[in-house]
Amino acid sequence: MKTLPLAALLLATTAPAFAEQAALDLVAPIAEYKLYVTENTETLVDETRAFTEAVKAGDVEKAKALFAPTRLSYERIEPVAELFADLDAPIDARADDYEQAEADPEFTGFHRLEYALWVEGKTDHVTAIADKLQSDVEELAKRIDGLTFPPAVVVGGASVLMDEVAATKISGEEDRYSRTDLWDFHGNFDGAYKIVELFGPHVEDKDFLASVEGNFAKANETLAKYREGEGFVSYEKLTDEDRRRLSALVNTLAEDLATLRGRLGLG
Amino acid sequence: MSEMNESRRALIKGLGLGLATCPFALGAARAEAPAQASAVTAAPQAGATSSSDRISPFGAHQPGIATPRPAWGMVASFDAIVDTPADLERLLRRLTERIRFLTSGGAVPQVDPKLPPLDSGILGPVLRPDGLTVTLGLGSSLFERHAWLAAHRPAQLVRMTSFPNDALDADLCHGDIALQFCANTQDTIIHALRDVLKNLPDQLVLRWKQEGNVPVIPPQPPGVMESARNFLGFRDGSGNPDAADEALMARVLWVETPDWTAEGSYMAVRIIRNFVERWDRTPLTEQERIFGRTKITGAPLDQPAGSEADVPDYAADPEGEKVALDSHIRLANPRDEAGERHLMLRRPFNYSNGVTRSGQLDQGLLFIAWQASLEDGFLAAQTRLNGEPLEEYIKPVGGGYFFAPPGFSDAADDYLGRQLIDAIGRTPRKT
Repeated sequence: MKTLPLAALLLATTAPAFAEQAALDLVAPIAEYKLYVTENTETLVDETRAFTEAVKAGDVEKAKALFAPTRLSYERIEPVAELFADLDAPIDARADDYEQAEADPEFTGFHRLEYALWVEGKTDHVTAIADKLQSDVEELAKRIDGLTFPPAVVVGGASVLMDEVAATKISGEEDRYSRTDLWDFHGNFDGAYKIVELFGPHVEDKDFLASVEGNFAKANETLAKYREGEGFVSYEKLTDEDRRRLSALVNTLAEDLATLRGRLGLG
Repeated sequence: MSEMNESRRALIKGLGLGLATCPFALGAARAEAPAQASAVTAAPQAGATSSSDRISPFGAHQPGIATPRPAWGMVASFDAIVDTPADLERLLRRLTERIRFLTSGGAVPQVDPKLPPLDSGILGPVLRPDGLTVTLGLGSSLFERHAWLAAHRPAQLVRMTSFPNDALDADLCHGDIALQFCANTQDTIIHALRDVLKNLPDQLVLRWKQEGNVPVIPPQPPGVMESARNFLGFRDGSGNPDAADEALMARVLWVETPDWTAEGSYMAVRIIRNFVERWDRTPLTEQERIFGRTKITGAPLDQPAGSEADVPDYAADPEGEKVALDSHIRLANPRDEAGERHLMLRRPFNYSNGVTRSGQLDQGLLFIAWQASLEDGFLAAQTRLNGEPLEEYIKPVGGGYFFAPPGFSDAADDYLGRQLIDAIGRTPRKT
């Protein structure tokens, strides 16, 4: 058909160029990525300790201040953390993952504490949940330490992060009690960009890379408008116009980064 | 390529039109419609359609307006990410490229299996056109957002406002761009939507969508057709103007202006919930009185033994003893001078979405009406209908007004919305 889309033609003709050479070249960036994840996990363990101790001490204001920055390290490494579903759920699941929502006894982790801090305004009934969060995070660090990073999962993580933002975060569902969603966006963008930064040099199509980098830059530019101190203003300040723009950028990055594995010869 | 020609030939042959179609598709959409199906809202008949049906995307007017309504339809509304005229042109060109491909069919390009496939694959490796039409509408918000577009807003394009019986849900309203997808099967419209979303993620952000269908009826003898029924069980579309009457359509549907909007059409979309449980508990005589037609045949109540094609004679029934003065058909079209001026072409679908919090069915009508003048068409008709007894059973919850630009030709460089881009003053057309 004469109207075959140009983009499709281009991809089809360059497809065989996605070489098998990849595997060897990727050893170094994977090692570097593991280092990145390990650093973030260590930070997560330390900061979660400070956060949960504030919760247990009943210091609601301090715990609120520590909530969003503590989550940042987790959001950066989410694709790796999600490899351990038995830990990801109790650490990061939301009320609507449970049949009885906030009242569900299975609802634990960051968002249960977020609910206690912002909605219930007290913490004396969640000290056990704080302890559990700390031990889950420590267990996560231990497992990641012993993990051999599968290249396809690492590289695929970039689009997974963008998918997550597109599917359930852009709407402001993630941090619905604290409205600290923009911190999480930032963590997800950071984590996805790290993967592009490390593996990008091994991608042949430099136009593709330039387009991806450009979209990350635009996303960061948009988010930067909402910077405040070390972090971000409330999600409620995000204008419809900027939410639309972020949506489009995140969807485009998710589509583009979904080809990253293939471009590196990973199945 | 050969397959496309084959299916096109088959369609033309099926319609008894021979090969005497004009090469430039100006009006081709109409030429391909059989004379008997000139009522666009005739119920689709089993066995009369095929996955090879091809409705040309080319012509003076966009298809999906005066072309016969197939069994399935959807309206999807988007926010458009557009900052400059070049951005808008890029969006329109890429959208046109997808429309050309989707409505022609053919083999889906394959890529290295290490990459995500270019196509969702839900229709298999070879697309069949399946009667697909994709109709573009532009919302007023698009024109309001940028100074360089404001001057080109179609004269009557406004943001939908609430009528007295409306309970509009902001999440189901408006949009910079609306796409209407229609086809013989649901899979084809879903495939088309997913294709557009995957190919234009940087410029189109989905706001809402509503799909619907109309019941397919058993094959009828030649020349026999009936309007499809809505979810209230009544035939809907009996009073529609004859889409085969080009002079009439020129007056009812197509904008006649000296600017870029010429040959375009205004689209009114309304998501109208029907309280079907309550309706089903209403005596038949009352249901019929509310509509002004018999439920079984659709004949107007002043000629109950007649057919839905019969025109009610209101002059002979000034007190509304037969067709009540506040009945739906009498208010919507009083068959007087005002009624003549206020014609529009309705092309709706029935939707069924699930269950409300109260455990009632969330069903209704995806109302779509086309007209040359929004004020004289939908707005005038709806204003007359305000307060009608039917309101007790219906609740509009969403929708929006859009302007469908004129069509595009099969010239390689032509695209949907080119007239607008040209008007904006960015006119580097190569050839």
